[in-house]
Amino acid sequence: MPEVKLIPEKWVDRYGDYLFNFTISRVNDPIMAQDLVSETFLAGLKSAHRFKGNSTERTWLISILKRKIIDYYRKINSNKGKAEVRMSYLSNSDQEGDWMEEKAQDLRNPNVEDTIEQEELGKALEECIACLPERYATIFVQKTIDNLETETICKEHDITASNLWVIIHRARVQLMECMNKKWHKDN
Amino acid sequence: MGRFFINCDEASILSTREQYGDLNPKEAFRHKLHQGHCIRCRSFHKNNERFQRKLRGLKWVTLSDSQKDSIKKRIAASMKK
Ligand SMILES: [Zn+2]
Repeated sequence: MPEVKLIPEKWVDRYGDYLFNFTISRVNDPIMAQDLVSETFLAGLKSAHRFKGNSTERTWLISILKRKIIDYYRKINSNKGKAEVRMSYLSNSDQEGDWMEEKAQDLRNPNVEDTIEQEELGKALEECIACLPERYATIFVQKTIDNLETETICKEHDITASNLWVIIHRARVQLMECMNKKWHKDN
Repeated sequence: MGRFFINCDEASILSTREQYGDLNPKEAFRHKLHQGHCIRCRSFHKNNERFQRKLRGLKWVTLSDSQKDSIKKRIAASMKK
């Protein structure tokens, strides 16, 4: 496996929107979400020397962001004197998401009827994107979420348009399989 | 690319590009023609379209350019330290 190097100069363009989506579906406040994303990058810079390259940049940044979100809820809870109520959830990392999901309103879709399905789908997709090879994930997000021009993405990654479409195609096939598996597992 | 008939690998890439509105009329025609005689690609294309509809329904939020700039500035300042 090739060694993964951190490139902080590219973090905002490559992961900003992905982390922002991840945060906003868990924190009911766009300004706070932006702040948490920003704090995540700064914490990433500070602990860059500890990055071993065992995971991708994206996975590593997400793990920092998750801790930031937990800290955020800890702070809110302790401010309200409710720290003890939910702390047991926080000891199990698998359940953090569930709890935060309960707490947070999804700002992406204000229509209540669709919210639960959208929320589950969004969360599943985030998890599936995190399982993609880094290059696939970045290029898929840039083209599909950020709606960047093909030419812009090709330039950044130094690839041809046909390379780009092969990558996006493979990413989508893997995402569809991953989403199907999740769907069958959960239903 | 003067030929009408394409293979399944090519058809599946065209199916994906179609989700992003990237096909020119000739490519769209070739893709349609291929689907006319290939059940597998027809079925893949349907799944691909369904997936695209789900993605669209997600209403992703994105950081504005000014939000991105402000984060970039914070990172740059922190890197200088
Ligand atoms: Zn075929």
